Amino acid sequence: MNSSSLHLNLLKPTERRSSSPIRLRVMLPICAILVCAGLLCWWGMLFTNLMMAKTQASGIEEDLANKGKQHAEIIKLRDEARELKLQLEQLDYYKAGVRSVAEPLAKFAEIVPMRVQIKEMSFSPLPAQILQPPGAKAPLFGPTENVETQKLVIAGLTTKETPVVSLMESLSSGFEKLVTSERKIKSFRQDNAEAEGRKLLSFEVEYTMPERRFAK
Amino acid sequence: MLCLSPIGPVAKPAFLGFAIPTKALSLAWIVQRNFTVKLQLTKDKTVEIRLPGGGGSKSATDIAGVEMFSPDCDGCPAVRLIKKKKAWHLVAADVVKDPNGTLPSCWEETPHQPVWELPRAFQAPHAALAVNSSMGTFSQSTADAIVQDMMSGLDAAKAAPAASSGSKKFGIKRESQPAAPRTASKSDTPTRRPTFPDAGTSVSENGRRFVTRPMAEQGFHLYSSLPEFQTLWISRLLPEGKRPTASSIQVAESALMASVFLQPEFHAADGSTLAIFVRNEAIFFAGYKKGEPVLWLRCPSAGGINAMHTAIKKTLGVGDDLIRSVLEESLIDPRPALEPFIRPIFAQLELSLAYLSSKHGLKFDHALLMGLDAGAALWSTYAEEALRLKLIAPNPYDGLIVDKGVETADATGYLVALGAAIAGAEVSL
Repeated sequence: MNSSSLHLNLLKPTERRSSSPIRLRVMLPICAILVCAGLLCWWGMLFTNLMMAKTQASGIEEDLANKGKQHAEIIKLRDEARELKLQLEQLDYYKAGVRSVAEPLAKFAEIVPMRVQIKEMSFSPLPAQILQPPGAKAPLFGPTENVETQKLVIAGLTTKETPVVSLMESLSSGFEKLVTSERKIKSFRQDNAEAEGRKLLSFEVEYTMPERRFAK
Repeated sequence: MLCLSPIGPVAKPAFLGFAIPTKALSLAWIVQRNFTVKLQLTKDKTVEIRLPGGGGSKSATDIAGVEMFSPDCDGCPAVRLIKKKKAWHLVAADVVKDPNGTLPSCWEETPHQPVWELPRAFQAPHAALAVNSSMGTFSQSTADAIVQDMMSGLDAAKAAPAASSGSKKFGIKRESQPAAPRTASKSDTPTRRPTFPDAGTSVSENGRRFVTRPMAEQGFHLYSSLPEFQTLWISRLLPEGKRPTASSIQVAESALMASVFLQPEFHAADGSTLAIFVRNEAIFFAGYKKGEPVLWLRCPSAGGINAMHTAIKKTLGVGDDLIRSVLEESLIDPRPALEPFIRPIFAQLELSLAYLSSKHGLKFDHALLMGLDAGAALWSTYAEEALRLKLIAPNPYDGLIVDKGVETADATGYLVALGAAIAGAEVSL
């Protein structure tokens, strides 16, 4: 049983008032305004964040572009440095491979016998030092091999065989920096030149010079 | 996806809703005119949330009932009922001060709108107000007669205070006449015929406020009406934002009829009972069948308690101070004074019993006698002799748990307030 069957209420639903101090017709617009304001704030924050993110992104992009340039420069400098380092290394190799022949040559004049006239001292030509391989940006420096060998050819005139032999014997000791013991008499023949009424002999002796090593 | 969709049997929702048609969850909400939000979780599951200030509650668990402008006492009998653990508690009962000003008797008096605040003990969220107004109507009638009454509403309302203007207090008729059902006449036929209102829906027509409820008998309705200006005046008495506010305005007789709802005897009889309400100025018979009203009749041939007291004083020659002793004690036999007074009442009661028996198949061996503060035993004795009907005079507080501090004396004076509260609560018991 429901008491509503005996309830004859003359009050219309629209006339009913709330006893709550919180009135819906007041609170609803306030809440709506607050919600709208909240949404606006939220959207504002989102927009601000978006703008900040965009600004940051553009800044980062600019920074990245600058960094890219700097990076390319650094790479280029590093390549140059590496190249220079290689060149220095090569120079070090050359430095290690320096052949000091001035002293033995100065000494050589003292050991030449009286009956010998040195006409020519020549070194065999060296292989090409700088290579330019196809497609290479820069030429490759340095010798093609780590060890370089050269020949020293001593040509002259003499009156007889003995002074030449004496010269060769003199060269066998104290001239290690200039020549090795390996030698070859390339020619020994009579020359057209005369001295003291006698026909002179021309000779050519080829010495193998000490090895030139390009190493640290 | 957003879609607008009224859900379920919602009458005219003023609403805005959205639904998310997913397989698992369909969520929608509707704000109705009574400020409730319905969340439809699934196809069959709906959760209703009442928003504050909506006042759309269908049942109340804390309500104050107030009888306004009672002719029986100075002030307004008021009660406060609170439902705790499925039981109704009477937490306060007292006579509170009248609102400042009188119940207006015409539109011109309505601008004088007082503000009324009830004492702290009665500050429930809701208040059901039962009004004693000489311009009010509470009757049973057919739909046609009610429509006729609606058509001639304002004229009838104007005529009523004119007839009783000399003897009213707060616009209340002191010597009230039986509320004879109005009949249609050619003179008060307006151009537009009002439509019969839906049950329980309050409508305004021709300057009067009407509400109807169907009775158990087909074609008959209980209806209640008050002048529009009185209804508006009462509805604005209790200010918004302060406890309590009016959730119900009833005519006092309507609340009286509902007061039986609290009685254990009423429920023991499965809602089928006969009740006799004795008031100072009138006597009413009310019949119920399975909780539904089947009879409401103002006894046409007898006055109320005041008339009974007058008869005792005249016949036995006793003063006012001895009337209660005569009715309660056996020193003086009150039969010579009471019998002539009661006989016409029982004659009407016999007719009512015959009507209930023949029309509704209701046979009673006892009836509830309510509102009588003294002499119930004598009434019962006479009723048993005349009608073989036992009259039980229950305490109006029966069926309630009376909290400590509540004055239980003179409970009959709160019958209307109790009825207003329990009817206004709209609860199932």
